[in-house]
Amino acid sequence: MLIANGTVHDGRGNAFPASVRIEDGVITEVAPDLPAREGEEVFDATGMEVMPGFVQAIGHWGVNGSMTEIRPSSQDNDELSEPITPELEAFYAFNGRAASTQQLGAWGLTAQGVAPTDNNLFGGAISVVGLTGVNPYDLLIKRNVAMAASVMGSMRDAYGKRGAAPQTRMWIFTHLDEQLRLAEAYDPKPEEKPNDKLAALKPVVEGELPLIVSCDSGVAIAHVRDILAKYPKVRFVILNGSGLTGDEDWMVERGVSLIVRNPSSPLDEAGAPAPFSWKAVAKLMDKGVDVALAGEYSNTLGAREDLIWNAAELMKELHDEERVLAAITSAPAKILGVEDTIGAIAPGMRADVCVWSANPLKTYDAHAVRTFQAGEVVYAEGDEKTCM
Amino acid sequence: MHVIKGATLYTMAEAGVTRADIAIDGGKIAAIAETIDIPGAEVIDAMGMVVTPGFVDAHSHVGGFGGHGEQQDLNELTTPRTPELDALYGIDPTSEFFAKNLEQGITTSCLVPGSGNVIGGWGIVLKSAGDDRLIKHPAVLKAATGINPKGVYSKQTKSPMTRMSIIYLLRSYLRDVQDYMRRKEEAAADPEKQAPEFDLGLEHGIPVLKKEIPLKVHTYMHDMTQVVEIARDFDIEVTIDHAQGASDFYDTLSDPHVRGVIFGPTAEPLFPGEGGKLDPECCAGLDERGIPVAVMTDGPITVKNQLIFEMGEAVRWGMDPVRALAMVTSNAAHIIGVEDRVGTLEVGKDADLCIWTALPSLATDAVLKRVIIDGATVFSEEA
Repeated sequence: MLIANGTVHDGRGNAFPASVRIEDGVITEVAPDLPAREGEEVFDATGMEVMPGFVQAIGHWGVNGSMTEIRPSSQDNDELSEPITPELEAFYAFNGRAASTQQLGAWGLTAQGVAPTDNNLFGGAISVVGLTGVNPYDLLIKRNVAMAASVMGSMRDAYGKRGAAPQTRMWIFTHLDEQLRLAEAYDPKPEEKPNDKLAALKPVVEGELPLIVSCDSGVAIAHVRDILAKYPKVRFVILNGSGLTGDEDWMVERGVSLIVRNPSSPLDEAGAPAPFSWKAVAKLMDKGVDVALAGEYSNTLGAREDLIWNAAELMKELHDEERVLAAITSAPAKILGVEDTIGAIAPGMRADVCVWSANPLKTYDAHAVRTFQAGEVVYAEGDEKTCM
Repeated sequence: MHVIKGATLYTMAEAGVTRADIAIDGGKIAAIAETIDIPGAEVIDAMGMVVTPGFVDAHSHVGGFGGHGEQQDLNELTTPRTPELDALYGIDPTSEFFAKNLEQGITTSCLVPGSGNVIGGWGIVLKSAGDDRLIKHPAVLKAATGINPKGVYSKQTKSPMTRMSIIYLLRSYLRDVQDYMRRKEEAAADPEKQAPEFDLGLEHGIPVLKKEIPLKVHTYMHDMTQVVEIARDFDIEVTIDHAQGASDFYDTLSDPHVRGVIFGPTAEPLFPGEGGKLDPECCAGLDERGIPVAVMTDGPITVKNQLIFEMGEAVRWGMDPVRALAMVTSNAAHIIGVEDRVGTLEVGKDADLCIWTALPSLATDAVLKRVIIDGATVFSEEA
């Protein structure tokens, strides 16, 4: 099919008039004035803005739990039996239909990194999935792209209150270091029974699998920085952003990226708003740090509006819609290692495309007219916004 | 005396949108005119800026709930009928969340008991800063239907465990108030008749029955049809708060007993049951039908610019940006009954206003530069 004559925002900083050809779920041509082929379906996007589907770098869409299942139960990405579970895969928590009911395409969302919660020091592997569909394997974009870690104080609530470790930050940071040390030294003999946890962390210390570390303060970020200084091959990403000042030049030097989650709602230990600054985020972007936005803060489902609202917050600092668009398309794709598949409008990319009535980064008077995921329509203007 | 010069005013009153200066004196708006020059007055340069009324949050718990929800001074979950309680005693006016309110332009909030009880108690209207903060007391009587009270009392195997009981409790309370009022009136008219024993809970319902304050009802989806029936039967005014799914019930809500609909907070996941439909397009739909509509933060646990984003979503789904602004100014003030003081830029109203770089209900990158309450600057953007 052909999405004809819109203004394309490619997610990599460029905007230009163009038509977009989609064949077999893939973008094959992006050029002005592409003539329609015989029998080709044409969507007239004249006067509209054509953008990559938004990518929520870390998300819990499609993860079932107590609110969504017939019996009270834990959330499927929240394995609270022990705090070190790098051997688990969040992909197994993902239910396509549960994500589909949230109608994320109506807000332009087409992909997420499905992740474990922040309640484990090492929670398990993150996978990138599409958001509308049924069979999780059909929705899978790339499996096990990063390892989730957390040094959040909330772990103390999850474990410490029942008398289990961690009860303190001492434990959290000590074991962050200790597990990485063990993984680095891990070299099993062929006859040995493998240690699944250390085997899962091995590619992290070897720099093959990025480590995404959820942090809740500037002090926590500094501890993570100092511990990971001992493991120079580790590629890591700071998750959340609370406590950053914008002066973290070490992030540039080490090539550390940032994923910002719903920053205004998290609260510090006293229940007061956490020290989060969009100015700091903008400053880091100016220094060259890759910044992706995500939606919900931590262990909750969040809302389909979160990502675009966070984009509006960043607009108040940057006043540059192409840079902000990159933070919800190409930047999360790059951080998750899927930049060759999603997060941009270019030949060869998966056809995750949202056609907007106007630029939603710039004005609230902009709604999704049609959203495509791998070339299939997943939202069309007028679809009712209900899961029942 | 202050003069704000050079801005475009969104008056939310008869004057509409206009380029004008504003003079402030004694905490009130003293004059609005194309050019105002008063010798000796302090000039606030707002050239090219947008001035709106201070935002009115029509439903919030700021100062009454802690940030983690652990401090619950607005939910007395020991019995489901607590009309005698008063949010005034549950609110900490020094809470730092009032400063967070100012950062998103909220100058006035309707602060109400939580929704754990079917009848929660009186709510108040409080400004976020200033010397004269309590501007209406009582402002509303809070009530709740649906999963909230049901969820609290089911666990205790106490009534109400079902929606059947919730509606019964609401109706029986209002009937008791009616009866109490009738007996008081009869005793006042006839010395032979004995006045009923003083009952604080029933006293608190009298202003509702007299239509001096509305019954403010936490209501989702089909529950709102039953609330409107109650309002008709008892001839009281209700506000429909949260109102998810309101787009299914426009005809029901077009009723003079509905003082207004307060939609939100909108950024919630969908889940089967009363949270199964989240329809920001209802803001435009209600407004087109002449039903006063507002939005809410339901604070304190919200994103920073919740009210602004809710306007934004209403605009995204079909509402005119100026009408959307009414949801946090004139409409909200009307629905919570403080339209004589706040919610519009008019001479004689409180000088509560916000100065923005652009229209906050339309431009995503509009930045709040200054907030003024009773004529005094209470927030200004850091450099």
